[in-house]
Amino acid sequence: MADVVSVGVNLEAFSQAISAIQALRSSVTRVFDSLKDGMKNKETLEGREKAFVSEFQDILQSVNRDLNELERLSNLVGRPSESHPLHNSGLLSLDPVQDKTPLYSQLLQAYKWSNKLQYHAGLASSLLNQQSLKRSANQMGASAKRRPKVQPSTLVIPPQYVDDVISRIGRMFPDMSIELFRPNGTSAVLLVTLGKVLKAIVVMRSLFIDRTIVRAFNENVYSEDGKIDIWSRSNYQVFQKVTDHATTALLHYQLPQMPDVVVRSFMTWLRSYIKLFQAPCQRCGKYLQDGLPPTWRDFRTLEAFHDTCRQ
Amino acid sequence: MLLTFLFFPIFKWLQCVTVPVAEGKSVQQTVEMLNKKLEQLGAVKQGNFYVDCETYHAGAPAIANSGQSQKFLYVMHNSEAPLSCFALFENGPCLVADPNFDVLMVKLKSYFQNAKGNKVESRGARYQYCDFLVKLGTITMGSSARGISVEVEYCPCIVANDSWNLMMEFMQSFLSSHVPGAPAVFGVKPDGIYSPSDTMVQYLELFNKVRKQQATPSTGMR
Ligand SMILES: [Zn+2]
Repeated sequence: MADVVSVGVNLEAFSQAISAIQALRSSVTRVFDSLKDGMKNKETLEGREKAFVSEFQDILQSVNRDLNELERLSNLVGRPSESHPLHNSGLLSLDPVQDKTPLYSQLLQAYKWSNKLQYHAGLASSLLNQQSLKRSANQMGASAKRRPKVQPSTLVIPPQYVDDVISRIGRMFPDMSIELFRPNGTSAVLLVTLGKVLKAIVVMRSLFIDRTIVRAFNENVYSEDGKIDIWSRSNYQVFQKVTDHATTALLHYQLPQMPDVVVRSFMTWLRSYIKLFQAPCQRCGKYLQDGLPPTWRDFRTLEAFHDTCRQ
Repeated sequence: MLLTFLFFPIFKWLQCVTVPVAEGKSVQQTVEMLNKKLEQLGAVKQGNFYVDCETYHAGAPAIANSGQSQKFLYVMHNSEAPLSCFALFENGPCLVADPNFDVLMVKLKSYFQNAKGNKVESRGARYQYCDFLVKLGTITMGSSARGISVEVEYCPCIVANDSWNLMMEFMQSFLSSHVPGAPAVFGVKPDGIYSPSDTMVQYLELFNKVRKQQATPSTGMR
């Protein structure tokens, strides 16, 4: 410990410096006390002024003396070592009562944790960036310029903004009609009608797609109480399969910074089912496998495959 | 004696087509063979079905006997729509009515005479395979078996044009080479949506073929 002290600070000078500060403070206090009290009673006015001025000079001189002493001592104290990785908090290791206040070891532990956290967060971030959507990544350059720098926080998007995004997507695809409902508060439910092939119900949470159900064109969209039915599965095996694949697509198309791009990509993918009953499998060339048409659509090429032919 | 049996595949929107099949086999044997093929494919039997058709001569008896071209009214039933009764005029509109339409026809017997002995029906098993519905029926007129009807429906799809290739492939899997090509009337209502009376129109065409077969003895029967 003596080593540390000799390298770090001169403790003797340090305690003297503290005394010097106290002295300085008290002499400064005396300056203001004497100014506050003003002139003392003397027989003549001249005598009063003389006594006051001489007293004031004495006090100022003592302030000057104390200040000089402090400056001298502060040079002796020396600078704390900057080489310690924890800078001044490294001085906590000087605390002689380690056992009672293990601050220093706790601090080291916390430092290690935060280092690790930063490292892992960096790895995760670079991995996630590689997984970003190819098609939308191409558009990113162009659209990023148009986009305002400060995006609205993705979880609190005003309903009007959601309406705009959805209606813009609806206009992109003439064979696809998108109706927007808000049966439960601000969250939107979309009814997507694709040609005469299918109807998909898309449950949104702000601008994120929460879940989706695909049914045949002639199946019920509304439940008996007249509300839009977001739960019942299709009675047809082919649309149960398509629903499963659509759920997979929701997990695939993820781009948290640009939820509107995700919705657009998902709708582009969903639109490829317009030829659900007409397109043969791109691998085996047949229309049916186990009684089902090619229900899988590739996420990038949108080509049709049977569920078992897509590898 | 060479026996020629007829297949009448019925599709939504599609005209029935006659296809000769296995020589030396009875209607019953052929139906059983087809049932077996469907079950091997994985189709599950779901009860039975029937479609029947009664013929009525339209107009008063005097007109009917006067040599003018006769008009026919057909009254049909389908087990898929047990609460409906279908009334079809030849080349005319199809009327969908309540089942007590039959009683009404009895009351109208001075205008519509039931041509007894002309009743044709098809009965058989109903199979489900994935989203396909297949009805294999034996067509009878009077008491004799006259042919086999095959009705195939792909339930999730309401536009016949869209599912044509898919249906062809499915039918090939149990009818092998007897699957007809796309019929000429295919595309009459290309973008139209299927309705139950369309099936009845197809069954009527099929039954009329069976009746004509009786009227002019087929050369294949010799
Ligand atoms: Zn395939």
